[in-house]
Amino acid sequence: MTAPVPPAGANPPASGPGPAPGLHGQGVGWATSGGQAPEAATVFVAVYKLLLRSVATRGRLLAIAALDVVSVFVALSVHLVGPDDPLRAGVGYANANLTTLVPVAVLVFATATLGDLIDDGSLVYLWLRPVPAHLHVLAAWAATVTITLPLVGAPVLLATALIEPDGGLLAGTLIGALVAIAAYSALFVTGGIRFRRALPWGLAYILIWEGFVALAGETASKLAVRSYVRSILSEMSGERIRLGEFSLAAGIIVPLVVGALVLWYGSRRLAKSDVA
Amino acid sequence: MTATVPAFGPPSGSAGAPPMIEVIGASKWFGDVVAVSEVSFAVGPGVTALLGPNGAGKSTLLRMLCGLTAADQGSVRVLGADPRTDLAVRGRIGIVPQQEAVFEALDAFGFVRLAAVLNGVPDPDAAARGALAVVELDPHDPRRITAYSKGMRQRVKVAQALVNDPAVLVLDEPLTGLDPRQRGHMIELFARLGAQGRCVLVSSHVLDEVERFGSRVLVVAQGRLAATGDFHAIRDLMDDRPHRIRVRTDRPRELATVLVERVGVLGVRLEPPAPGRAGAVVVDTTDAPTFRRLVAKAARHAGATIWEITPLDDDLESVFRYLVQP
Repeated sequence: MTAPVPPAGANPPASGPGPAPGLHGQGVGWATSGGQAPEAATVFVAVYKLLLRSVATRGRLLAIAALDVVSVFVALSVHLVGPDDPLRAGVGYANANLTTLVPVAVLVFATATLGDLIDDGSLVYLWLRPVPAHLHVLAAWAATVTITLPLVGAPVLLATALIEPDGGLLAGTLIGALVAIAAYSALFVTGGIRFRRALPWGLAYILIWEGFVALAGETASKLAVRSYVRSILSEMSGERIRLGEFSLAAGIIVPLVVGALVLWYGSRRLAKSDVA
Repeated sequence: MTATVPAFGPPSGSAGAPPMIEVIGASKWFGDVVAVSEVSFAVGPGVTALLGPNGAGKSTLLRMLCGLTAADQGSVRVLGADPRTDLAVRGRIGIVPQQEAVFEALDAFGFVRLAAVLNGVPDPDAAARGALAVVELDPHDPRRITAYSKGMRQRVKVAQALVNDPAVLVLDEPLTGLDPRQRGHMIELFARLGAQGRCVLVSSHVLDEVERFGSRVLVVAQGRLAATGDFHAIRDLMDDRPHRIRVRTDRPRELATVLVERVGVLGVRLEPPAPGRAGAVVVDTTDAPTFRRLVAKAARHAGATIWEITPLDDDLESVFRYLVQP
């Protein structure tokens, strides 16, 4: 026999003049932590799930999916036209996707993970817990990667394959996408912590710094993620790309190391930030 | 010179125990604006009300107590530790913040359960169910919290604050949006939590609300600690201050002449009549109840007809202004 379940939304019966349920005697009536710190893995998974659900709104998913559709449609058109040099066209198209579509998609989700909580004040429910800030930041990074990898990584790979299904090009596109998503996620999660309106700041970074200033010369290009992604693509496809002349190892390692440092900075920033 | 730290100890039986919250000379400013200015107090177990008008610095002070913002000057200790840097003490503080925002993707059970998980509660499901039952909410309600009424959302916030049985509860305007029955239930709940040895600090800008807590009071105004003590002492202090009353009449000059001779009248000012509005006498008095009894007699003596008697400074803002004036 099972106890009847009250209908959804109904309040349980009022407690009346006696003590409220669970508050008899000196304790609350249920087991508490007793001052024990929570397990890091448990906290990470809980925050990761929360941020995943919070950030993957229908509006954001549809907006990025629309960009994916446009990208794949353009690739299909190029395929039907039949370019003179399919490899060169494929490299150019993959490069364009990895340096525009990917960072923009990552920006939309990454800045919202913790940035939205900071803006609306709900961060207090994560911050005022016996949990180090780096777990929140890592969970935000992981949530962003989880969403954007299939959402933009797969369509970019598909679009590249439609133009030129060369093995080296596809491998370069895949690794480039992985590195780009990992590095941009770190940058923009931290951007969401650091700046109040991180979305326009991030767009300015992508369009002005990476899209304009970093093209001015080799020194500036070293300070842009897209230069390393280009290098991966160039090395693996065998097709030379301007300002994409780092080694494959540098192309993979530098953005990931920088991303890790940026996440460390973001964690420190979050730990010391004023919470509304 | 040492600062005097007003201390609120436990009701009985714990004399000499260290305070659960200790604030010494704490100040906080945002640019040129001083939000909290050299505030010192200590609080022990039981319910303590933080009373002050909107913008007085109550929320900033509560945020400092939780470590959510750092004091620019002075120190804040909760259970002997700095809540800004000590992770362990954060797990012993429960907060109901003023802002309404919660995690929109979650239902009430998920929200409270998450608080339990982040606090390391061994059985977060049971804890969430228990905490929701305390605030009379259904843990099986599938709706997201965003679909809840303001009062229900407030109760969810209280449930997440209770889920780890915190030693210190910081409640920023926790009765906002609650219906009268729920307000009564919450006040009773806070009183019981305080009686069980927890430190419950409740902020409010509503005097009558604080009266119902039946608690010790810290009055904050313009970022400063204006008064401390038992609620009744504060109430008496507020009643004993000078009051300003406007008496609208057809013969203000004659009435003013009679009133100025009365005991307890500090000053009289005439307001000339305006089109469609009778003239008035504005009186400053130290004894408002006696003045109200005598004004009819004075009007009869002056041959004046009284149209209206209006207290001009009976609002809480005026009370606070009086308390902080040098």
